[in-house]
Amino acid sequence: MVMDGEAEHGDATEPVGRRFPRRVYREGAEPDPRFSLANERTFLAWLRTALALFAAGVALEALELPIPPGLRLTAAGVFIAIGLVACLQAWLGWANTERALRRSRPLPGFGAGAIVMAGLSVAIVLVVVGLAI
Amino acid sequence: MTDTVFDPGLQPERTLLAWRRTCLAFGVASAVATRFTLAAIGPAAFVVGLFGVALAGLAYGLVWHRYRRAHAALTRLQRLEHGAVPMLLASGCGVLLGLACGVYVVTRALGVQ
Repeated sequence: MVMDGEAEHGDATEPVGRRFPRRVYREGAEPDPRFSLANERTFLAWLRTALALFAAGVALEALELPIPPGLRLTAAGVFIAIGLVACLQAWLGWANTERALRRSRPLPGFGAGAIVMAGLSVAIVLVVVGLAI
Repeated sequence: MTDTVFDPGLQPERTLLAWRRTCLAFGVASAVATRFTLAAIGPAAFVVGLFGVALAGLAYGLVWHRYRRAHAALTRLQRLEHGAVPMLLASGCGVLLGLACGVYVVTRALGVQ
């Protein structure tokens, strides 16, 4: 099973078949399957992160946290917006990473992570300020 | 079920568990959403919530087949064969859930004010 050598990872002439999406699977050669599986788990982790962010946004409103309604709605909106960014990052990040793996190129950067972190910081500041005033 | 595992690091098995965690999270999200929207939109919330929970339950079962398929391909061909349709569907469900949460938050905020 061990696949430490490049030669064992398949070759560029292998059939793409009906694997979806073609824009990923028509590129390069089959990578080490352990890397593909790790990439799949990263996708799932982003999706669960998105669900947690949605839950945070909904909880702010549903539990009527004692902060000014304008601030509360803004913070909830930010949580949900970055949750949507996390959903998109899950899919696009998976596709870009898988393509990079297949082409033996460096992995893509972490821009979406920065957006989510920035949004999370803003939302937390809004909640803290709202609780303080 | 007497196959030997493909990878001593149990990558396919860990991926199966990650899918199951995600399905459970979606199921819980649907159930909680039902609880919070029942008062506002009545039986429709129950129907939609039940559909969400059922979908998550179905996906929980289907990921087992994905794992078996991956395991079979890995032990036979040393490579994966499956595509990413379930991943696109899961992303779509995430986006839909996010949009629904957005609608809920805005309508509730406007209603409270």
